Amino acid sequence: MKTVPVRGTRPAVLAGGQSLPMERPPRGETGLPAWLRRNLFSGAFNTTLTIVLAVVFGWLGWTVLRWSVLDARWGVILRNWRVILWGVYPHAEAWRPATSLILVAVLAVLTLAVWRVQALGRVRQAVLVAWFMSPLVIGLLLRGFELPTLRTIGNNVGYYLFRPDFLPVLNAIWRAPTALFLITTVASITWGLENRLRPRLLALAPVGVLVTFNLPAAFDFSGPVPAALVAPVAGAGGWLLGRSLGRLLSWTEAGRRMVKWLWLAAGFASLLVLTTLEVGRPEFDPAPVLAIIQPSQWSGVVLTLVLASVTAALSFPLGVLLALGRTSRLPVIRYACVGVIEVVRGVPLITVLFMAQVMLPMFLPLDLTIDRVLRAIAGMTIFTAAYLAEVIRGGLQAVPREQVEAARALGLSELLVTSLVVLPQALRLVIPAIMGQFVSMFKDTTLVAIIGLLELLGILNAITKQREFLGTVREVYLLAAAFYFVICYAMSVASRRVETRLGVGTR
Amino acid sequence: MPEIERLDTGNDIIVCEDVKKWFGEFQALRGVSLRVRRGEVLVIAGPSGSGKSTFIRTINRLEEHQAGRITVDGIELTHDVRNIAAIRSEIGMVFQQFNLFPHLTVMQNLTLAPIWARRWPQARAEAKARELLERVGIPEQAQKYPGQLSGGQQQRVAIARALAMEPRIMLFDEPTSALDPEMIQEVLDVMKELAHTGITMVVITHEMGFAREVADRICFFDFGLLVEIGTPNEFFNNPRHERTKLFLSQILHS
Repeated sequence: MKTVPVRGTRPAVLAGGQSLPMERPPRGETGLPAWLRRNLFSGAFNTTLTIVLAVVFGWLGWTVLRWSVLDARWGVILRNWRVILWGVYPHAEAWRPATSLILVAVLAVLTLAVWRVQALGRVRQAVLVAWFMSPLVIGLLLRGFELPTLRTIGNNVGYYLFRPDFLPVLNAIWRAPTALFLITTVASITWGLENRLRPRLLALAPVGVLVTFNLPAAFDFSGPVPAALVAPVAGAGGWLLGRSLGRLLSWTEAGRRMVKWLWLAAGFASLLVLTTLEVGRPEFDPAPVLAIIQPSQWSGVVLTLVLASVTAALSFPLGVLLALGRTSRLPVIRYACVGVIEVVRGVPLITVLFMAQVMLPMFLPLDLTIDRVLRAIAGMTIFTAAYLAEVIRGGLQAVPREQVEAARALGLSELLVTSLVVLPQALRLVIPAIMGQFVSMFKDTTLVAIIGLLELLGILNAITKQREFLGTVREVYLLAAAFYFVICYAMSVASRRVETRLGVGTR
Repeated sequence: MPEIERLDTGNDIIVCEDVKKWFGEFQALRGVSLRVRRGEVLVIAGPSGSGKSTFIRTINRLEEHQAGRITVDGIELTHDVRNIAAIRSEIGMVFQQFNLFPHLTVMQNLTLAPIWARRWPQARAEAKARELLERVGIPEQAQKYPGQLSGGQQQRVAIARALAMEPRIMLFDEPTSALDPEMIQEVLDVMKELAHTGITMVVITHEMGFAREVADRICFFDFGLLVEIGTPNEFFNNPRHERTKLFLSQILHS
């Protein structure tokens, strides 16, 4: 009897120190011939099936191959590759989408390389950080950006924080008393909350400064409302208001802590009032760094990738929140989430996309218009999030109740129980399903062609209408199929790999 | 923020007065009154379904009691989240099924709560974790996942995980019932060692040898009632109630 050492297993040793060798498997039970016999030619039916299918697939492959070598006019793609990649993006700025695509490609290759080699732990972290930074960099690159001047920063912050639409109405006479009123109020609150002398005096100091500014007006008795009366009244009013507000705030610790924010707000507001910054009109005073190119001008592969990645990045956290909301104990939150999920899941994506185009502006302030691409992203995000929520809810329900109890017994708060114990386990259970959702979302990006966006498929359709390339639909659609297949397959491979990596040591 | 009110309960660290609990229509606890002294090892015995598990789970609010009063280290167990949090931070619990977090390594299992709930720096939490793993006899398993350990090792990790929060009270809910026979002893040894450190322990177990050796008092639950309580000597040699006698004869002669 011949024996072989079996690789990777420890030799079996009996109690007496006598080793227990394994026998070699019978001839013809291992290797390629055995596999072929067992799987392809195990019987008459199986053998027939194998041969028929081999003929069919061979014929299909041969036809496509012959066509693509002899008849296909690949010129349509070779001549149009720029259009396919970034479409109608302004020609002079084409380096920006090109750089973005190269960046993504380099990152993808790096990721593949780094994940194969075990030793590159630190590089791996750098790659991960690069992935997280890439949306910002690519976003800035594609859209372009302008740096505002200091003055416009002040105007804008003032505008969006306070919306002081009343300011232009405010006469010059009223500006100083208004500032005095604001500052005195906060000073008086502070006075009420502090019982030591120094902070009290410190609080009075800005009031003193303002009073000094107001002094010239003290002798001004002209006009319908004499300034000499207005300033003292504003000061006194502020002081009285501050005293009662102070008493209110002193009840809670949070209220006491609020005082410094009140100072900040009042100081900023007073500054705006006094220096007459044009807060009512938040015009941009731009210093362009990269010319702005709105998303509606993005197209081709670039638009497809942007749509898919932004939708994925936004819909995942939204889906998690919806799923958690659906399992919440608070009925208001639960029913709101159930409502969103069920309504969105009950409506076709096309409808959601149209709704996003038409309805979204309704919920926004009139002066805020949203780009068409962003509206499409919003629609796809809520759609994907609703499906993800159901997938994630399945994961949440699969985490045993005992895990929650163990975490609670350790003294973790409900938020920590969810985020440290339940969610990590729930999410890794549903990685394949989440990735499946993303794959179908990626393919669904083609639907935005219907609302007039030129993503990859839209651009390809347009190309086939070029006069010199009429009738090249096959070539073009084959390319589209290859593109979507390669990316979707890469996604599912990645998901499987993540799954096995995270599966280490799970029960 | 007002301080949590602490009552003076003298030398008693857990005070339960007439605790009642229903699951739907079924009454699981029919008014249990029990005082556990500081540093005491109290063993709870009783047939399954007698409410003993429900009872110790009400002490750290894994189950909510619907009538009666529970005070832990002077803090009354109310609906107030801060009271519940304060009480849970004083109580460690070990479960029948270990309930380790399968997605975390042993080390992460032990440091999770100290880092996130106690806000310890990671280095301190890990030092404490290593010390505890040493104490329960498995320092070399720190980087493994729970699924790679034997049942006995998992239960010892679970004990270490509860101890990592430096609790004053440890609750054990049948810690050896899910273990293979050859692993029971290693867990019991850790518990015996723990009992000698002066921590308060409330242990549900069928290991009467352990009870006889380590317990200060043993109590017997049946039908949601505390039937009998006494020292091991009284309990084993001179039980007063018929139910206790029957239970003892079943458990000791089987």
